[in-house]
Amino acid sequence: MLIKLLKYDLKYMIKNMSVFYILSIFFAITTRLLSLPEQTVMIGILSKISSGCMIAMIANVVINVMMRSWVRFRDSLYKDEAYLTHTLPVTKNDLYNSKFIQTLIFFFIGFIIVLLSLFVAYYTPDTWLVIKDYIKTITTGFNMSPLFFISIAILLIFLELFNAIQCGFLGIILGYKKNNGKIGFSVLFGFIIYLVAQTLVLGLVFVYGLFDPTVMELFKSGTISINVNAFKILAIVASILYVVIIFSMSIIGKKLLNKGVNIE
Amino acid sequence: MVLLEVKNLNKKYDDKNVLKDINLKLSSGKIIGLLGKNGAGKTTLIKLINDLLTPTSGEILVKGNKIGVETKKAISYLPERTYLNKQMKVKEVLSYFEDFYDNFDAQKARKLLKDLDLDESQSLSKMSKGMQEKVQLVLVMSRNADLYILDEPLGGVDPATRDYILDTILSNFNENASVIISTHLISDIERVLDEVVFIDKGKIALHSDTDELRKNENASIDEIFRRMFKC
Repeated sequence: MLIKLLKYDLKYMIKNMSVFYILSIFFAITTRLLSLPEQTVMIGILSKISSGCMIAMIANVVINVMMRSWVRFRDSLYKDEAYLTHTLPVTKNDLYNSKFIQTLIFFFIGFIIVLLSLFVAYYTPDTWLVIKDYIKTITTGFNMSPLFFISIAILLIFLELFNAIQCGFLGIILGYKKNNGKIGFSVLFGFIIYLVAQTLVLGLVFVYGLFDPTVMELFKSGTISINVNAFKILAIVASILYVVIIFSMSIIGKKLLNKGVNIE
Repeated sequence: MVLLEVKNLNKKYDDKNVLKDINLKLSSGKIIGLLGKNGAGKTTLIKLINDLLTPTSGEILVKGNKIGVETKKAISYLPERTYLNKQMKVKEVLSYFEDFYDNFDAQKARKLLKDLDLDESQSLSKMSKGMQEKVQLVLVMSRNADLYILDEPLGGVDPATRDYILDTILSNFNENASVIISTHLISDIERVLDEVVFIDKGKIALHSDTDELRKNENASIDEIFRRMFKC
């Protein structure tokens, strides 16, 4: 049943997100086409407009995945559509898991669209060299391989966004347990959960620092000239903690859903 | 055979008792009218049976099972509002029901849609509320369920359509199944009911066989209801 639920959740997201994907790629292509080596003033202006539109669409790809995931979660589980969702012969866990996986998939798709758009719009052998040099400078300074740096940076951004999504889901579940002001409470609870999650990550890194002086330096030192190894450890520890927190929130969310809902 | 059993069911919203100690047993093969004034608790009871509300206390059993996946397979529910995703086309909704309900008869649904002049390729967003309600009725009645629960299926439709809806309901459910129809338009459905459950201020005021009740009171169900709940 999870696969069937996922099929319809993905269909919904594709219907709503595809316009941003198409526009993002479209403006990436126009940006590329207008980036002529010798251009007139007018083409220069059009190129800047096209580039701006592409950046806006890229931002939309990321923001809309978050917004649509929250809206889908709320509409499907607590609004009119909930009359169908909760009467389907599926478990509450499957309902939650479907939304969880759907968000994961669309973050990946969004990430690929962003990379693809940037590549189409701006790739040249020269820009590639500049980026490589820039990454090399950073990674040499921090004594890490470029692959590790890129992987951990992408992972952290991804986990941070996914953590925000999960906070929103949990906030909606808690907010809709109230009899009044459900939306207001959903936002409030989501925000509080987000703050708690961030504090928890920071607190646990601090606890880790009690056993690792290099990490503790991050809390003590006001300058960046601390042991570069600490950043590596911090990134790994934070990633692990995010994963633990995200899955804990998903377990709590499912437990609360299983306790029952009250649909207006 | 007992199809639905409700034991000591209570539902509170904040401090307000919406349902008070409801006890009810309904058997298979009956058409039951769940009757009561607006705000009496009919929809609350129905929503509790369909897992849309959480009881404060008490228990609901359908075919001996607590509310969950198994009971949802057995119940076909028509809510009082339109609940389908408006972005979908009618044919997509048919596929959706086919995917999730093993007892959904897609051929029957297509035939009923045709009878009602509803276009499968039309998007729900382009349909009127009345048309969407008809699509929902078709979907619900095209399941070979054990229990059909219809919440105000006649609300907001003209008398001619009411008759059509009632005929659709009567001619499209299997003989061993039961149908619960919640309404306050008693005179329209009186002729089809085997049993009535009167609900008032969150309590079961009466549960009786309709023929027996008419005979004992020497009046129609509509008259008995009006007499009982006179303001």
